[in-house]
Parts: sequence; C-alpha cells; structure tokens
Amino acid sequence: MPRVDRRQAGVLLAVVLATGFGLVYYAKALAHLDDVADTNSALSFSDREIAGGNSMIVNQQAAYEAVALIPPTAPYRVRTGPRLRNATPLTLQYVESWYRYFLMPRRPTLDARWIICYGCDASDLGPSYRVRWRDDNGISIGRLD
Amino acid sequence: MSLGAIVGLVALNLWLFVVGVCVLFGLRGWNSWVELGRLSGLAYMCGVGSLGIVWVWQLTFSIGMSLATIFGSGVIVGVAAVLVGLRLGRRLPPRPMLRMPPLRLSLVAALFGGLTAVYLEAQFRAGRLAGLYEFDAWSFWVPKARAIYYFGGLDGQFFQGLAGQSYPPLVPALEAAAFHFMGAADAVTLHLQFWFLLLGFVGAVIGLLAGRVPRLLLWGSLLLVLVTPHVVDYALQPQADFLLDEFFALGALLLAIWLRDRADWALCGATLFLAAAMLTKREGYVLGVCALLAAVVVTRPQARSLWPRLVAAGLVAAALTIPWRVLLVARDLEGGGPEAGGLGLLSHLERAWPSLRLTLSTLFDFHIWLIVVPLLVLAILAGFISGDRQFSGYAALLSILCVAAFTWSTWAFPSLPITKAAAVNPIVRFTGALVLATVWLVPLLLADARRTEAARR
Repeated sequence: MPRVDRRQAGVLLAVVLATGFGLVYYAKALAHLDDVADTNSALSFSDREIAGGNSMIVNQQAAYEAVALIPPTAPYRVRTGPRLRNATPLTLQYVESWYRYFLMPRRPTLDARWIICYGCDASDLGPSYRVRWRDDNGISIGRLD
Repeated sequence: MSLGAIVGLVALNLWLFVVGVCVLFGLRGWNSWVELGRLSGLAYMCGVGSLGIVWVWQLTFSIGMSLATIFGSGVIVGVAAVLVGLRLGRRLPPRPMLRMPPLRLSLVAALFGGLTAVYLEAQFRAGRLAGLYEFDAWSFWVPKARAIYYFGGLDGQFFQGLAGQSYPPLVPALEAAAFHFMGAADAVTLHLQFWFLLLGFVGAVIGLLAGRVPRLLLWGSLLLVLVTPHVVDYALQPQADFLLDEFFALGALLLAIWLRDRADWALCGATLFLAAAMLTKREGYVLGVCALLAAVVVTRPQARSLWPRLVAAGLVAAALTIPWRVLLVARDLEGGGPEAGGLGLLSHLERAWPSLRLTLSTLFDFHIWLIVVPLLVLAILAGFISGDRQFSGYAALLSILCVAAFTWSTWAFPSLPITKAAAVNPIVRFTGALVLATVWLVPLLLADARRTEAARR
C-alpha cells in the first residue's frame, strides 16, 4: 500500500474539502437557482419590468402612464410632497432617481412643463397645470400649458 | 425579454469572440485548432477586454456608439492584432482539421464538465427573466448604458447627474452594445450578457490551466467558487463588480503564468486584463497594483531582467486609462480618490482595525464564500512547505495585498459604515476579486506541492 505523508495528506484534504463542499453546495445552488427562475417567470410583465421600482413608486400604472403621456423628446420633472398616500419609506427619497432610469430617453429638468406629481400640492404648480392622469394615492401626471 | 433579444446577445458575443480570436493571434497564436478551441474562453475575454478599452477611448473622444462603430472598432482591433501577430511571425496551423480528433475525455473532466454545464444552464434560466432590483444597477450603471444607447455618447447631463461619476464607462459601453444588438434597452435580458461573461471566464480559466494541473484540482476548485452563495446570487447582476473580478483574476493568472514560463505573451495578456480592470471600476487600479507588486517582490533575484518588463506592463495598463482620467478633469467630475484624502488614513486610525476585521470576517464568512479562503490559506501553506517557493510567494503576497486593499477600501472612506450590508458598504463585492482568483491559485499551489514532493522522492 502506498505511503501517504503529511504533505500529501494536506493536498488530499484540500481536494476532498473543495470537492465535498462543492458537490453539497452544488445541489443547493441548483435548487436555489431553480427557485429564482420559477419566481422570475411567475412575475407579471410589469412586475418584472419595474422590478426595483416596485418598492417605491406606489402605483405601477403611474410609471406606464408617464411613458405613454410624456413624449420621448420632452423633458419632465418629478415633484414630491406630503399628500402622497401609501408611500413606502423609500418613495420620497428615491422615486425621482427611479423615474430618471425608467423614463429615459426623456430628460429630467428643473423647469420642464411635464410634471409627475407624487403628493405635491398642485396649486403650487400654477393655474396652467392641466392634470392628464391621476390616482387615489395623490399621484398625478400633467403639463403646464 | 424576447427570443430576438437573446439572439442579438448571441450575435454580440460571437462578435466579441471573433475579435478576441484575432487578439489572441496577436498575443500568442496557436499550434493547432484544438488548442484554439481550448483557449476559446481566453479569446472571448480578450475580445471583451480589448473592445471594452477601445469603447472607453471612443466615448472619451466623443465618437458616438452605434452598430456601425461597434463593428468598425472590432474590425480595427482585429486587423491590428492580426498584423501584429504576422509581424511577430505567428502563422496559422497547416490547415483546419476537418475530422474531429479522437475525443480523450477523462471521467473527472466529463463529470465535472457536465456539472458545470448544468450549473451554467441553471444560471441562464435564473437570469433570463430577472428584473433589475439592485440599487446601483438601476441608479447609475444601467442609466449610463441607456444614455450611451439613446444619445450615442457620454451625455453631459446623465454622466454628471448620476452617482458614480468617476467609474469608467467600460461596463455601460458593453451594456449599450448589448442594447444595440438586442434592438432595445431591455434591462431584463441584459442579465444574460453577464452570463456570457461568466461563461467566458470559466472557459478562460479551464483553457489556461488544462494540462498544468490535475483535473480534479482544477474542477473541484472551480466548482466550489461557482457555488458560493455570493456567486450564485450576484454573478449576473448588470453591474461592474463581477467583470472587475473576472478581469483581475485573469490578469493575475496570466502574471502567474509569466512568472513560471517567462512567456511574453502572458505578460501582454496580463497588461490587457489589468488595464480593462482599471477601466471597469476605480478599484481596478488598486487590484492592478496588488498583482504587479506581488510579481515585483517575488522576482527580486532577477530584478535587472524582469522588473523593467513588469514596470512597463504597469505603465502601459495605467496609460490606457489616461484619456478617461483627462476627461474627468476636463468635465470637472469626481476623481474617485479616497474620501479621507492622501494622508487621511492617519486621521482615521480608529477605523483601521475594524476595517481589517471586517475584511477578514467577510472573506472567511461561510455564508458568503463557503470555505474558499480557508482553502486558499491551506494551499499557500502547502505551497510553502513543499511547492514552488516563488509561486507560493506570489500567491501569498497577492492575497495579503488584496486583504490590505479591501481593508483600505473601508478605512479610507469614513462615510462607509463598518458592515457587510451590501447596500451601504461594497466590501462583499470587492472581496470577490480574491475569491475568483482562488479558482486558479488553489489548483496551481496544490499541484506544485504535489509535483515537487513527488520529484523529491
């Protein structure tokens, strides 16, 4: 029987550890990836497309209305305010940057005529603000005429 | 999210592969078509690295990005690489073999190859319909890519207004290229572009190590890293972290091959990948210094002949990033240096130990990296006891310097809390660089220990 010294035993131990842990966690990884694939495929188109935005935009319809109403070349701005209902802790802090990602190639500008209002006071926007879409959460999309 | 988008991605990655084959021809050529097949992963990653660098230059010099320029830049890189190869005397093998050579596949390679293929298929299915949830991905990586896709270049408004101003646009450019080939800014299917990168990395490591280490060592180590919880969950995220790790791991591996074989092509390849790492994320500079410094220290006995080459490699890699750095200054964007400033570490000494502890606890965290790092320590010890001292020294120094770099990344940024929480401290993602390098470090170290011991008998 071949003699195995301590150095060889060390190499052997490393191989056994790597392969053993690798195979055990291989099975777990496959099961986990299967679960992820199932979860992803069970999502609706909008849940999948909005993804991270679901934790902050309150109403998916607002995002799709913004895409439909605001022309791709028109600038827009997001105004937030305290009149928003059902907001998450992330909404007021991140909703503007999420719309910047989602609405591209539309550009956010400070003086844009298109306004996505998240609980803002519409009277602050002036008499020329015409609401094109609104929901019960205090979100509206409109334009300064 | 359509089949057409996937076909588009396949076309893009085929183009990256074709350009990469030309780059590989310029770097080293191949003696047989079987050898080219073995190195196809490396060729693909050469294509990603070289075209990525060219795209950053292109965008920096305000040359718009479109399908025409993607093909044009590829043709220029490919033709230039082939001309360099011809000039260096590289020739194609006599003729392509029409008949397949007899397939000699060991049981180990067949078994682990099959397991890896099934794993990659599972990753593909998981990424196929994945939404964009990661904060950094939707807050700046993908918006930058969309800005390049929609506006053709580094749009002033978006690149100044978005977070991560100092991050070079290699990944956004690659993502923008993917959008062009998919025909839309599809952030869902985009995850699959990162699947191709993972596939290319795996193929490159296997191709470079095949024949150098016993199969069981190679495949066992590879499989262990692939199934670590962090790789399983984050490998396909459309961010720059994994590509940075992949470039670094390949660059450091080619440096290791150069240390052993003194093959100039390996040093040139390392330079390419380290430059690409530097243009992927600012952390690439630190990682590049770690790899080159480790090589410099272990080649001290041959300093006169080897150091000039290593210094040249470092200078060339850094020089390739100069246009981007100039653009940052010209546009008055953040440089990306440490928050604490040059000597600021000294005024935040109280963060030194917690930062080191955070690094070590992250590297040894079983729930993040399983036993990969303990195994690396064991392999380095085995290497020092009975292996190639120079390579063991390189591996040990590379690991120590990486630990120092990870520690610095928390210590030098006082606004980062001492935590592994990915949302507020990137330490887990950053440590991935060393962990991906263990894919080749561990098998090479153990193979050395085994071989040297056998030779001693």
